[in-house]
Amino acid sequence: MQTQSSPVERLLRVRSRRELIEGDLPLPPGLSLPDANKLTAHLLALEPATATLRLGIVHSYTSDLLDPWFKLHAAIQGLDLHLYQAPYGLSPLEAQADSGLVRHAPDLTLFLLRREDLHPRLAEPVAALDGEAREAVAGELLQGLGDILGRFRAAVGGRLVLTLLPDLYAPGLGLYDAQSERSEAAWWGSVKARIGGFLREGLAGASFLDLDPMLADLGRDAFFDRRLWYAARFPFAARAAAELARRVLALGAADRLTRAKVIVLDADNTLWGGIIGEDGISGIALGPDYPGSLFVDFQRRLLDYQQRGFLLALCSKNNPEDLDEVLKNHPHQILRGHHFAARRVNWGLKTENLVSLAQELNLGLDSFVFVDDSDHECALVRRELPQVTVVQTPAKPLQVPSCLDRLARLEVLALTREDLEKTRMYAQERQRREHQERVTAGGDALEYLASLGMRMRIALNDRTQLARLAQLTQKTNQFNLTTRRYTEEQIGDFLAHPDWVVASFSLADVFGDSGIVGLALIRHEGPGGASIDTFLMSCRVIGRTAETAFLESVLAWLMAKGVAVVTGDYLPTQKNRLVAEFLSNHRFAPTEDGRFVRDLQRQPPLTAGDMPVSVSLSEPAP
Amino acid sequence: MTTPLIDRVRATLAATLNLPESEITIATSADNNEAWDSLAQVNLMLAIEQTFDVTLDVEDFMSLTSVQGITQYLQSQGVA
Repeated sequence: MQTQSSPVERLLRVRSRRELIEGDLPLPPGLSLPDANKLTAHLLALEPATATLRLGIVHSYTSDLLDPWFKLHAAIQGLDLHLYQAPYGLSPLEAQADSGLVRHAPDLTLFLLRREDLHPRLAEPVAALDGEAREAVAGELLQGLGDILGRFRAAVGGRLVLTLLPDLYAPGLGLYDAQSERSEAAWWGSVKARIGGFLREGLAGASFLDLDPMLADLGRDAFFDRRLWYAARFPFAARAAAELARRVLALGAADRLTRAKVIVLDADNTLWGGIIGEDGISGIALGPDYPGSLFVDFQRRLLDYQQRGFLLALCSKNNPEDLDEVLKNHPHQILRGHHFAARRVNWGLKTENLVSLAQELNLGLDSFVFVDDSDHECALVRRELPQVTVVQTPAKPLQVPSCLDRLARLEVLALTREDLEKTRMYAQERQRREHQERVTAGGDALEYLASLGMRMRIALNDRTQLARLAQLTQKTNQFNLTTRRYTEEQIGDFLAHPDWVVASFSLADVFGDSGIVGLALIRHEGPGGASIDTFLMSCRVIGRTAETAFLESVLAWLMAKGVAVVTGDYLPTQKNRLVAEFLSNHRFAPTEDGRFVRDLQRQPPLTAGDMPVSVSLSEPAP
Repeated sequence: MTTPLIDRVRATLAATLNLPESEITIATSADNNEAWDSLAQVNLMLAIEQTFDVTLDVEDFMSLTSVQGITQYLQSQGVA
């Protein structure tokens, strides 16, 4: 037992980073700087980093004092941090070719700016501006921001993260501000929404880290240390410095580490209080009163994670009919059957159930977050399936709704239409499987495929789907010939370059539309030659011959453009065994240097009539 | 608490400046230690506040620039 030791002493005895990442040991809010430094040293000595993060900081206020906190949170996330602080000030010089920042080649460039850096007028009260002037200042501010960030975007790769320091003091009109037509808070809220829109639509690989929610979380007095501001132009109290570093590193980790895709939930004492098999449907804690109200809120918040694009799955030791009873008939149950992409409700081992869930969902176990209240189940999964992130449901109901809040792996950097519809797509996939079982019981596989009525839409050089295309290169592990990861910015460069062809496809059938699920990046090489840099497909359309239809259609298009010989590569990883034979199965011949080549004259592409998929192809007008 | 105050001040300094404790003596000050620059000074003040549970004024930030000065200040605040 360690009952006598302080939280800090316990932190300094952790044996792995995951104890901190998974929330078993929260950082105390008052963690002092010396203790933070000791903890950083302890963590660095414990385990090697899993990735590097080159962080560049452009700042118009003192930021060096954040360094120890960045180092601590990098050590927690397992990132080997290389830090560069640009000279004080927001200067376009740092966006020039040989600047310190550009030479640092950052993976993440953090902008710590003040609002008045964006427009000099903001040094004076916003409330003094009338309607027209408010709009004019907002427009100029956006234009200036677009200009300066555009310069940095052109100069450095990686992610750009913009922060704007909140005001040290409350809005100028005081308690009346929210009501006034000259409200500063309302104006700022609308400007922020436009900044967010610009970073989403107008700039590749950029994030807006809004500090106002952090200000609300901590409170203005706990956020700012005004002594430090007036003595050293450093705004943050230690707790805010630590929290800012945590949020920045969460974005860094979301970029650099394997993404989570599924949250697997236990039921008893996780989705509700108590045990359904013992307490019965009317005995479990779930409803308007304490402690059931906390489980209602937790379920409500799990739907938020679904909106972020994560799948929910169930893994519970129970009689399936008991659990069904709650999902169908409990008046306060929020998560119903259709919210779960898959479920395992049985008395088997949770580890085996997780493995079989991964097979059903066609996802790697390293994309799983497992939530369970039991010491035993958590320890078992941590030991047997170390790639799974394990969060133990807090024993205190008050802590349950927020137990996933600080998990960096549940932060997302972009959201696509596909993310929002994922659960429905997996449900369609389940219907397809059931349909397949029915059809193939009396016929063959081709008959099943023909019965799906598949329609493939191939888009060539489509600029409108940058985020989704980059996301595909970052998330696809199994059906991926080369596993090259690209940022939105890099995909944008390919689209702009005449030598590159960016082809993507979506697939619809009688059960629904998959959204964009496949990508090929092809480079013209010399007269009549082309090579396949990337060829990948989301696992949710595997087994429907879509890959063949996509490849053959793209090859036919290339051939029409004068390409005669296409070269491809298979770069083996731990996860892409699935496509080891893909090129040779599609009439590519192995070469002496380990590549694959197909002569399109001798091995002409299949045409639509040969495949159970109808294909349409669109390209932008030249 | 059995560790003498001066040694706890030295330990806090060493952990904040990332130096071995043996390098910090009663004679160490911002003037004779390279790691103790203006940035470290601010960090150090925060560390002193958090470690000894005192609240410093902006004026103290500027003046508490030696091990001896800090120790005397803490004694004057009743820290034993």
